[in-house]
Amino acid sequence: MLKYFFSTVITLVMLATSAQEKKKDSLLPKTERYGIRVGIDAVKLVNSFIEKDYKGIELVGDYRLTKRYYLAAELGNENKTVQDNHLDFTTKGTFLKAGFDYNLYENWAGMRNLVTVGMRYGASTFSQNLNSFTTYNSNQYFAAARPTLYNQKFDGLNAQWVEVVLGIKAEILNNIFLGFSFRMNRLITNSKPDNFDNLYIPGFNRTYEGNFGAGFNYTISYFVPFYKTTTSAKLKVKKP
Amino acid sequence: MKKIVILWCAIIGLSGCEKDDICDANTPTTPRLVIEFYDNLTAVPTLKNVVNLGIIAPDIASGIGFNAVSKIYVPLKINSEATVFYFIQNGANTTTTDDNIDVLTFNYSTKSLYVSRACGFKTNFNLTSTNPIVKTDSPSGDGFWIQSIQIVKSEINNEKDIHVKIFF
Repeated sequence: MLKYFFSTVITLVMLATSAQEKKKDSLLPKTERYGIRVGIDAVKLVNSFIEKDYKGIELVGDYRLTKRYYLAAELGNENKTVQDNHLDFTTKGTFLKAGFDYNLYENWAGMRNLVTVGMRYGASTFSQNLNSFTTYNSNQYFAAARPTLYNQKFDGLNAQWVEVVLGIKAEILNNIFLGFSFRMNRLITNSKPDNFDNLYIPGFNRTYEGNFGAGFNYTISYFVPFYKTTTSAKLKVKKP
Repeated sequence: MKKIVILWCAIIGLSGCEKDDICDANTPTTPRLVIEFYDNLTAVPTLKNVVNLGIIAPDIASGIGFNAVSKIYVPLKINSEATVFYFIQNGANTTTTDDNIDVLTFNYSTKSLYVSRACGFKTNFNLTSTNPIVKTDSPSGDGFWIQSIQIVKSEINNEKDIHVKIFF
């Protein structure tokens, strides 16, 4: 699975840089476009169809504030059932992440690609349903424990976390962007169910010991321009 | 930028190891009942080793043998509130003529407690306040070899504590 991420990242980088080569000698005035970009995460969408135990959607959006800063947010809903060796549970809930992206990428005239670093503050409200569990017993004298039917629901749970986001967005068609982002998450607070734990949190994904997590998304988004600014091209003298 | 990407990939790669998917043997899970054996004849309680003690549950084909130890670990049924064991003196050897069977019934309540993703749940036990351990003689009527039983700790939630003392 991981190799697909990287191949796509490489493709996007190549797409962005190859497009740049063509316009290298251009000295046209630079037009910066400002507006809002809205899109959807393709990973959650596709997984909703191919995975039996998963339903999820994530809408993404950003608004260009300055030349390099973008306000960014993700809003989504997930319903995931996890069947581990000893546990079977279903997590359902909604999440919202908001923050900023900073574009590191210096575009040539006419290009609007992004390589960003950013941060998000994430929050989720959700429920956990413990469908069944087995009791771990290292002693096997009596027959191994059968799954215990439990089916207990824990409602009204919530969690908050921060994310560091590395992202790339390439304009593949006019105003249509293909994006990819990698996220490292750090859980700040979460209300744990009584005699159970939050092993999956909508938006945060799987939890690990030490409160760290990771995530990614592939986005297809559409840019709605609001206004333009034009700056005449300046010749910069590079210091040796 | 390149360095950040490489670092990022390394972090993601490491976090993919998922070491918390395997239940660590050191994690306390379902405990066994811990019994210590004492000499019945000494005025000051003194530990006494068992010799070829065999314990077997009536519905299980094979038993567990203990020799030259004063402390034994006894598994309890997690799907039941009582476990019966035949405590057979000299039972863990091939000669059966010197066997002496005492039947012990352990009565308790159970509680399921969440441990972790890797270990799932464990069951802790609590010996009942009335008749926690009932001693009966075997049908052959060979008399008791166990003189008395003392409950030290009725809550069985780890294997570090001594839960029961048996004097013989």
